[in-house]
Amino acid sequence: MSEAPSEFRVALIGNPNTGKTSLFNALTGMRQRVGNYSGVTVEKKIGRWALNRDQDVHLIDLPGTYSLSASSLDERIAVDVLAGRVDDHPAPDLIIVVVDVENLQRNLFLASQASELGVPMVIALNCWDIAEKKGLQIDCKLLEQRLGVPVVPTVATRSRGTEELARAVEHAIKTKAMMMRPIWPEAVKTAVQKLHNEFISKRGEALQVGELQRLIFDRSSAVRERLQTPESEYEGIIKDARDQLYKDGFNPDAAESILRFRFLNPLLGDIIERQAALKKRTTTESIDQLLLHRFWGLVVFVGMMYVVFQSVYTWAGPFMDLIESGTGALQKIASDALASMPMLQSLIADGIIGGVGAFVVFLPQILVLFLFISLLEESGYMARAAFLMDKLFHWCGLNGKSFVPLLSSYACAIPGILATRTISDPKARMITILIAPLMSCSARLPVYLLLIGAFVEPRYGPAVAGATLFAMHFVGAILAAPIAWLLNQTLNQGQQPKPFLMELPPYRAPRFKTMTWRMYESGKEFIIRAGTVIFAMTVIIWALLYFPRPAEVEATVTKSYQTELAALEIQHDLSENELSKRIDAAYLEQSYMGRFGKFVQPVFAPAGYDWKITVGVLASFPAREVIISTLGITYALGGEIDEESNDLRATLTQAEWESGPRTGESVFNIPVALSIMVFFALCMQCGATLAVIAKELNWKWAIGSFFALTAVAWIAAVLTYQIGMLLA
Amino acid sequence: MRLDQIKKDGAFRVTKVNCQNESVARLMAMGLLPGQVVRLTHEAPLGDPIAVVFQGCHMSLRLIDAAEVEVEKI
Repeated sequence: MSEAPSEFRVALIGNPNTGKTSLFNALTGMRQRVGNYSGVTVEKKIGRWALNRDQDVHLIDLPGTYSLSASSLDERIAVDVLAGRVDDHPAPDLIIVVVDVENLQRNLFLASQASELGVPMVIALNCWDIAEKKGLQIDCKLLEQRLGVPVVPTVATRSRGTEELARAVEHAIKTKAMMMRPIWPEAVKTAVQKLHNEFISKRGEALQVGELQRLIFDRSSAVRERLQTPESEYEGIIKDARDQLYKDGFNPDAAESILRFRFLNPLLGDIIERQAALKKRTTTESIDQLLLHRFWGLVVFVGMMYVVFQSVYTWAGPFMDLIESGTGALQKIASDALASMPMLQSLIADGIIGGVGAFVVFLPQILVLFLFISLLEESGYMARAAFLMDKLFHWCGLNGKSFVPLLSSYACAIPGILATRTISDPKARMITILIAPLMSCSARLPVYLLLIGAFVEPRYGPAVAGATLFAMHFVGAILAAPIAWLLNQTLNQGQQPKPFLMELPPYRAPRFKTMTWRMYESGKEFIIRAGTVIFAMTVIIWALLYFPRPAEVEATVTKSYQTELAALEIQHDLSENELSKRIDAAYLEQSYMGRFGKFVQPVFAPAGYDWKITVGVLASFPAREVIISTLGITYALGGEIDEESNDLRATLTQAEWESGPRTGESVFNIPVALSIMVFFALCMQCGATLAVIAKELNWKWAIGSFFALTAVAWIAAVLTYQIGMLLA
Repeated sequence: MRLDQIKKDGAFRVTKVNCQNESVARLMAMGLLPGQVVRLTHEAPLGDPIAVVFQGCHMSLRLIDAAEVEVEKI
């Protein structure tokens, strides 16, 4: 879809929940593309709308906003697009304001703000059918006369009113129909004039007149960031302008709302005719009696979250197993086919196929979670869930909307982090992303099961084993709360907390199309953007574990094995299988990773780790569960081992220190086992999560959180071991 | 009386809004201005936030923001 420069551009704006996106879909059909505004996660939707047989216009769907004061990221984008300051998009030639008939006043507030931009406008009165059903009547002709722009009733969900809308747009373009603006009091006019002189005349700032108002009325306006004027001068000029308003008895923070509504209300007073029916309690209100009930509301909420969590866990399970066994089968085929070329065999089977499998395996969970998230959002329940949970999260800088992402992170942090997009407060969203990896995801389970099965259960019985497993799931969450609090105290000191004002929209049936679309989009984005990084990391780790592979290793191991057998003085056939496992173990020890593990082992010594555990920890950087197969290889049991393996459990209990002051003592005991579990409960050993954090925030945060969480995990592991040894 | 103190029975009229921060400015932009009639519909399980309805619009807000809005019973 190329953009002819002469093409007409129309922007759609409106409050959230007005059916703006439905209207966009109704007008453009499939002729649309969805992307992101550069550098931010705000969705950018552009499409083509056939105004008539000869003319196509470019239609831009802007994020839903209540105001142009630009406090949230969504609003900022809307303001920037309207002013023609995003990427290479020129400002729109016409604005369609989508208005919910039931909230005419509040919706027209946004229209009134947009009228200051001096662009022709058309107003679409959407949800006309619902309003009619409720006995709400609006005199469109009269409204049109009073506002000065065409007013068109539409029912976007049924594509009704689109023809009339097209005619109205043509008309508005031809007549340059502008919406009536409030008559501002002298104080506002003087203040705007002052800013005009200072910024535009004197300093030559590229500002539009409409934007000057925003500088006066909004304390933290996005417009500010576009100015070249230094902070000190700017502060003085704005203070002067705002003082002007104070002098005349207007509080600048409140003035815009008061003045605009004072202008709008008389225009609307006799236009809306509400019949008695409206006073009756609506369906939404009846449902809320249950869903927002102080007790039953919580019961329903917990039940729903249980279903979501269980589904992410269990529905995705079979598909994940399928992907895993598929990966395994492919690896087998590849390694059989390439048996003659060991390096290529390992690269393709373990590196490439293993690397692709490592991120594709997350897809089922992502799709299931996004199915539920779009269901919760579309139906209107998400706002209710946030309402119920807000207090629990508020004190540490999060808000009610953090709950769903954090809960999902118990299944897997990746869909959890993607789900934070529902949090509109950027700071709360950031903190939620940063603590999500602390929720004990399902990849940690194998580590817990192996160590608890090998050390805790045989000694203390199943009850203590169960309790340990339970406790491991909460270590991260308990630490997450103070970490979130700390982040909230330190991040962006100057920034005011974003208001937690949320509309509780009417319930409605979710649309199948929107839901499948969101699942598809989230899956696609994960595969493309995070997948490549995860793949690269897996291949790098593979290389570190494979090379340099000195040729003499094989001969040395074979010889020592023969000597060992001879020493046993039994007639014993040389077991090929046993030998090849020993050779693998020796290669791993000789690999860059093995050498590095030995080198950094002293760092992990206070936590009780020998070099083999250290290599396991390092090699499991792309994915935690890798530690099990790495331990399998280092202990010469082969890599195809799992956490239920009795061989591995037995070998671990028998492992002894090979050198150093503790030679001959066993490596593993209860404190070491606990220390490893605590380390894995807290660390950021997941390349996929890192890639997703980098994508949602940036690489600086991803790497920072890797080091921070590794440090936290290390401290906790050392404390666990040291305290454990004191008690033992 | 302030908006954070109202009970579920009856309607209240806004008399004054102390607009000192962004949250309150936002409430005003949504139409919560002096003269507006508002009712309390729900309280969250832990008492905060609350849900109110004005002009047919259901809003959830935190008590700290509600405390900036003065109301009288009607």
